[in-house]
Amino acid sequence: MTANIKHIIPDQFVLFKALEAANTGIVITDNLLPDNPIIYCNPAFERISGYSREEIIGHNCRFLQNKDRNQEARFHIQRAISNGEDCIVELRNYTKSGQLFYNELYLSPVKNEQGETTHFIGIQNDITARRKVEQALEMNYEETERKVLDRTRMLKESEEYLSSIVETIRESLLVMDKDYYILSANNHFLNTFKVSINETKGKLLYELGNGQWNIPELKKMMLEILPTNNPVLDYEVEHEFPHIGKKLMLLNAHRVEFEGQFKDRILLAIEDITERKAIEQRKDDFLSIASHELKTPLTTVLGYMQMMQRLMPENSSEKFKSVVSKTSMYVDRLNQLLAELLDVSKIQTGNIELHMHPFDFDKMVSETIEGLQTATPHYKIITKGKVGVSFNGDESHLVQVLTNLVSNAIKYSPDANEIEIYVSKVSNFIKVSVKDHGLGIKDEELKKIFARFYRVGEIQKRFPGMGIGLYISDQIVKNHGGTLWAESEVGKGSVFNFTLPVHEEREEMKND
Amino acid sequence: MIKKIMICDDDPGILEMMVMIIEEYGFEVFTEANSVNVLKDLEREKPDLLLLDIWMPVLSGDQILKTIKAEPKFSSLPVIMYSASAEGLAIAQKAGADDYISKPFDMNDLEAKITALL
Repeated sequence: MTANIKHIIPDQFVLFKALEAANTGIVITDNLLPDNPIIYCNPAFERISGYSREEIIGHNCRFLQNKDRNQEARFHIQRAISNGEDCIVELRNYTKSGQLFYNELYLSPVKNEQGETTHFIGIQNDITARRKVEQALEMNYEETERKVLDRTRMLKESEEYLSSIVETIRESLLVMDKDYYILSANNHFLNTFKVSINETKGKLLYELGNGQWNIPELKKMMLEILPTNNPVLDYEVEHEFPHIGKKLMLLNAHRVEFEGQFKDRILLAIEDITERKAIEQRKDDFLSIASHELKTPLTTVLGYMQMMQRLMPENSSEKFKSVVSKTSMYVDRLNQLLAELLDVSKIQTGNIELHMHPFDFDKMVSETIEGLQTATPHYKIITKGKVGVSFNGDESHLVQVLTNLVSNAIKYSPDANEIEIYVSKVSNFIKVSVKDHGLGIKDEELKKIFARFYRVGEIQKRFPGMGIGLYISDQIVKNHGGTLWAESEVGKGSVFNFTLPVHEEREEMKND
Repeated sequence: MIKKIMICDDDPGILEMMVMIIEEYGFEVFTEANSVNVLKDLEREKPDLLLLDIWMPVLSGDQILKTIKAEPKFSSLPVIMYSASAEGLAIAQKAGADDYISKPFDMNDLEAKITALL
C-alpha cells in the first residue's frame, strides 16, 4: 500500500506547498528523539498559536497548554503516543499573548516498516468560536433551567402563601366552578359548619351536607343577583342548620372575570355574625332594661321634687328656693337623658314609633323656640322665615329634633350670644337651618357626629354628654323621609339643616 | 264626701310618694303592693278610682284590669294605668283603661286626669 502511494505522490515540493497552504495547523513531532520535539509546523499553526516557527521547532507540544496542565485530554494523548494510536482530543491551548483558544487536535502516528512509531502528525483546528457558541448555548440552557426552577419555586411559594392566607382568615371561604360545584373549602368553613373536605369538595353548593345549604336566599343571590351585580357584598342570610343551629351569615360573592384558567370561578366568603348580632341584641336589651328600671326611682324623686315645690313656704329664703329649683332642673335633665337612652334602644331595635298627624309646623317652631328662649335668657334666638303649610309628622319627636339642634348650638357657642333659625319651604320640602357662631366642627369629625355615642374628642372634656342627641335627631328625620346634615367652619360656627318632605296632596285629603 | 283613690304598685317607694301627693290633692288613699289582692281590696275598700301600674310581678296590670272590667260589680270603676315603658299606652288602651299616664308623671297632669274621671 505504502509503496503504491509512493508511486502516486506527485512531487515532494507540491506536497510541501499543500502543507504550507493548509488552513489548519499542522505539526510533526519526531518520536525517536527525546521528549518528542516538534520538527515541523506550517504557517497556519504559527497563525493559530501566535508563536513564530523559530519559537516552535524543537519544543514539545505541551508549551501550548501554558500553565493549564491539568487537562483530562492529556491522558488520552499520552496513551495514544505510547500505544502509537490515533486520537482526537479537545485541548485548552494558549496563544503567545496568553489568550485561550480551544484546539481540536487530531493525532496520527507515522510508523516505519518495523511498526515502530517514528513521528506523530498533529492536525490542529481552532474551535474557539464553535466552543463559545456551544458554551453560550449551554449557559442559556442552564439559565433557562434555573429560571424554570425559580419560577416553579416562586409559584409554589406564592401558592403556599396564598393558601396560608386563606387558612388563616377567620372567615369561611368556598371556591366554586361556574356551575356552583365546590373546588375547595378552607378549614374555617369545615370547622364552622362541621363538615369534612370529602363531604364538600366536588359537591354542588346546594347539596352540601344533605341539602343543608339549599337556602332559598342563597340561591337567589347566586342565580339572580350575582350574574348582574358582581361582586355581591354584605348579603345577609339567616338559616337554621340541623346540627349547628340558627346562623346569621354575611356573604360576599365574587365571580372571577379576568380571562384565563380561573375565569367564571365563584368565590364565596361567609362571615358568621350570629354571635355579634346576639351581643348587639344583649346590649340593646340591657340599654332598654337599664333605662326602664332607672325610671321607677326617678319617678319617685320627681314626685317628691314637685311636692317640695308645692309645699315650700312663701317665706323661704331665696337660697333655699334656688336649691330646690336647681335640683328640680337636674332631675328633669336626668329624666331627659333616660328618655333619650330609651329612644336609642328603641331606634336600635327598630321600635321607634312615629305618631303621624297633621300639625302647624310654624306654630311648633315658634312654641319650641319660645320655651328654649325662656330657659336661656342670655342668648338671643332669632327665628326667620315661615313654612306656611301644615305638616303630617310626629310633632313631639320633631320638637325633640329642633330642641336638640338649638341646645347644641347654644352649648357649643359659649362665647357667642346669638343663634339664628331659618325656616323655609323649598320645593316640596320644609327646610330648617340652625346657625351658631360657636366652635365649629373639623371636616373629619363632621361625618361622624351623627353616629351613636360619638363625641368629638376635645369636646368631651369641656361639654359632657352621651353623644346620642344628634343620632336620635338624625334617625327621627330619616324616619320622616328627610335628611339632616351639617356644614361647619372651625372657629366660625356651624349650620345644622334638616329637610322634611311635604306630601301636600295627601295632606289635603286627610284634612278633608 | 272625700273620694277614695286606690293605688296598686309593687314598688314601695312609688307608693309612698304617690300617697303623699294624692293626699295633698285632698283625696283619701289606699295602697296595695301585691296585685293578686286587688279584687279583694276593691270589694272591701270600694274606692272611687284605681291607679294601676302595668308592670308588676305575678299578675300584671293589664291582666287585672281585664278581670275587673269583666266583673259587673267593678266594670264602671274608673281606672288610670301608668307605666315607664313605651308600649304602656297601647297596653292600657287594649286592656280597657279609662286613662293612661306615663312615668315619670307631672303632678298637675295626674291631678287633672283623676279629677276628670271623678
